[in-house]
Amino acid sequence: MGEVTSVAIAGVGGQGIILASDIIAQAALCAGHDVKKNEVHGMAQRGGAVISEIRFGRRVRSPLIPDGEVDLLLALELLEGLRHLHRVRPEGLVIADELRIRPAVRPPGAPPYPDDAEKRLRSTGRKVILLSASELARQAGNIRAANTVLIGALSRHLALPAEAWQASLHSCLRPSLVEVNLKAFELGRGTQDGV
Amino acid sequence: MSSSAVTGARALLSGNEAIARGAFEAGVRLAGAYPGTPATEILEALAQCPEVHAEWSPNEKVAFEVALGASLAGARAIASMKHVGLNVASDPLITASYVGVRGGLVVVSADDPGMFSSQNEQDNRHYARLAKVPMLEPSDSQEAKEFTIAAFELSERFDTPVLLRITTRIAHSKSVVALGERAEHEPTGFVREPAKTVMVPGNARGRHRLVEVRTVQLARWAETCDLNRVEMADHRIGVICSGVAYQYVKEARPRASVLKLGLTFPLPQGLIRDFAGRVERLYVVEELDPYLEEQIRALGIPLAHPPGAPRLGELSPPLVGRFLGGRKQAAPPPLPDLPPRPPVLCPGCGHRALLAVLKRLKVFVSGDIGCYTLGVQPPLETMDTCICMGASLSVAFGVEKATGRSDNMVAVIGDSTFIHSGIAPLIDIVYNRGATTVIILDNETVAMTGHQDHPGTGRTAGGEPTHRLSLEEIARAVGVRHVSVVDPYDTERTREVIRAALGREEPTVVIARRRCVLLDREARRPPRRIDVERCVGCGQCLTHGCPAISDRTPAGEKKKQVEIIAQLCAGCNLCGQLCPANAIAEEAAHG
Repeated sequence: MGEVTSVAIAGVGGQGIILASDIIAQAALCAGHDVKKNEVHGMAQRGGAVISEIRFGRRVRSPLIPDGEVDLLLALELLEGLRHLHRVRPEGLVIADELRIRPAVRPPGAPPYPDDAEKRLRSTGRKVILLSASELARQAGNIRAANTVLIGALSRHLALPAEAWQASLHSCLRPSLVEVNLKAFELGRGTQDGV
Repeated sequence: MSSSAVTGARALLSGNEAIARGAFEAGVRLAGAYPGTPATEILEALAQCPEVHAEWSPNEKVAFEVALGASLAGARAIASMKHVGLNVASDPLITASYVGVRGGLVVVSADDPGMFSSQNEQDNRHYARLAKVPMLEPSDSQEAKEFTIAAFELSERFDTPVLLRITTRIAHSKSVVALGERAEHEPTGFVREPAKTVMVPGNARGRHRLVEVRTVQLARWAETCDLNRVEMADHRIGVICSGVAYQYVKEARPRASVLKLGLTFPLPQGLIRDFAGRVERLYVVEELDPYLEEQIRALGIPLAHPPGAPRLGELSPPLVGRFLGGRKQAAPPPLPDLPPRPPVLCPGCGHRALLAVLKRLKVFVSGDIGCYTLGVQPPLETMDTCICMGASLSVAFGVEKATGRSDNMVAVIGDSTFIHSGIAPLIDIVYNRGATTVIILDNETVAMTGHQDHPGTGRTAGGEPTHRLSLEEIARAVGVRHVSVVDPYDTERTREVIRAALGREEPTVVIARRRCVLLDREARRPPRRIDVERCVGCGQCLTHGCPAISDRTPAGEKKKQVEIIAQLCAGCNLCGQLCPANAIAEEAAHG
């Protein structure tokens, strides 16, 4: 990673992508970094593809990550991971939930959902970690905390102190949701690479 | 944002939140807005401050005028809107430039290059020249806050409204902001001064003269103000830029010399000439129109790039890098053969049920601005026009008058959009003896922008109860004799009511009322299920694009195999009403 670390989070509207990116950005801020974060609002709850980008370091300029400069891609859904795979550095890392959500509509002539999504995700030589984040979230007590499980897994690969993550989870979540998300985070953080 | 946020603290704020914070710290007393991506969050943040009267106005023109009134009473005021909203507010803006201000008056235009959520990508920097008001363009959230405060000061110092122009990437990017304290500005009260505030020709001529003098004074001030900044580095390449383009330039060519313009109307001609003289090759990097470029070329300053480059969509660091003559890095191509995932109407959305009825009636649909515009996509494909707020009624009426037919087209408009700009065209239809069928899709909220209140919800931006405007009463009051309210989930009755309206030689308003499913999760009904024994595989249930219905038909198979995803299904039973084999029932009925 260079002076600036670039993280992209991809998924489907309604999966909690913007909240996940808020948690990562806040953790970087708590650790004393300059931070920029970007996403597009408006369609987020309408089942469309959603992408959020976080950049942190000593000094961040562009809020947009230039193509090919994503250090870490967090995919909350496999197809959305594939959609942004080309933007990850060759030596970058992809952490993905094994979840598949088929697009609601298939416009005429559009290809079908790729059944070999996992294989294709691994086909470019970039390092890929696949998780059953939804299953771990269920263990933590709320299936909707899958995004936090993935953040936990991601935290193993970002040079941010544990206290920064704790502080961020406390500041970004409603008090009633903190406990289950701390648990989800720890379950994700405890996963082994290559699982 | 809350007014109790710790002063001196650093917070991650979006550009919109930072503008709201800046207005708050500048002692703003009144904020007006109409929801519109990417500007909505400015007013949402100010509505949380008890010191500020923050309102959702019926439209942007009203929002601006209310802010102008507050300014004339000596209070600091702000109006915020998306770029197309400024079209609506442009009438008062241009005359307000003559009138000037008493308390600082700031209007925020949030432009949308790339059209993430808009019907056009107009460049509102032109409005600054048209209205002859100073324009500020911040390049991150910290500047968004500082420039907002500076805009109020500039407004009062030069007796002018100030345009604060941002774009989607400024509005919706978060970056670090240092928080400060609120400085109160007590309103002085309204005073009589007709030469300033009554724009009859005799007074307006005098005020226009002052506007021209003011522009010259502002241009002189622009030469030395700290909103503009020269960053000299490599003298072989110089770039003039503003807004988010500045960040892309610093990312793509960190060693380039930069003239960063924070004030982009009027331009500092001397500063530009001086900078041009200090660099070998001069570039102008800007999104959308050649707004800076044309003015700089008009000064006789040669640029290193050809004029008239394509001006479509938004910039990015790689695009800027290539423009500045960097090495052509081949951008890695996306993986092939991936299906798109466009946004869709939610499961259980009342709009879908109504649009499914219109599809069956085989009528043209003159559409409007809102979630229902998504009906243009397959498989619904029931949207034939979409222009701007309120145009559904007037366009349908024009088609009717041109063709002499009122039985093959309906106008479809949302509740808030109708209040924004639909009432005047409805009056036109009645007054000019039309027979248009107007369907108001009343989901009791402004859904697309994230569920804001409006005059028809009976609640203010601050959450206080207020008079609830009745769409039925409005329609009757303008002279519509046939007004019906239907539940779009009841497709049978909805179809009959619309069919009767199409056959009538008089205008009809049909209010299709069904609260937005995202607002009313408790109202969700038990999920439906497909009885595979009864299913004949006709695929009718797939014709309205419900995300909860999944097509599992293997390739080559003619008979459709369909599954309802229980977690997504809202139980509206639109699919059940479409099913000719009666194969869709409540999940519980199957055990």
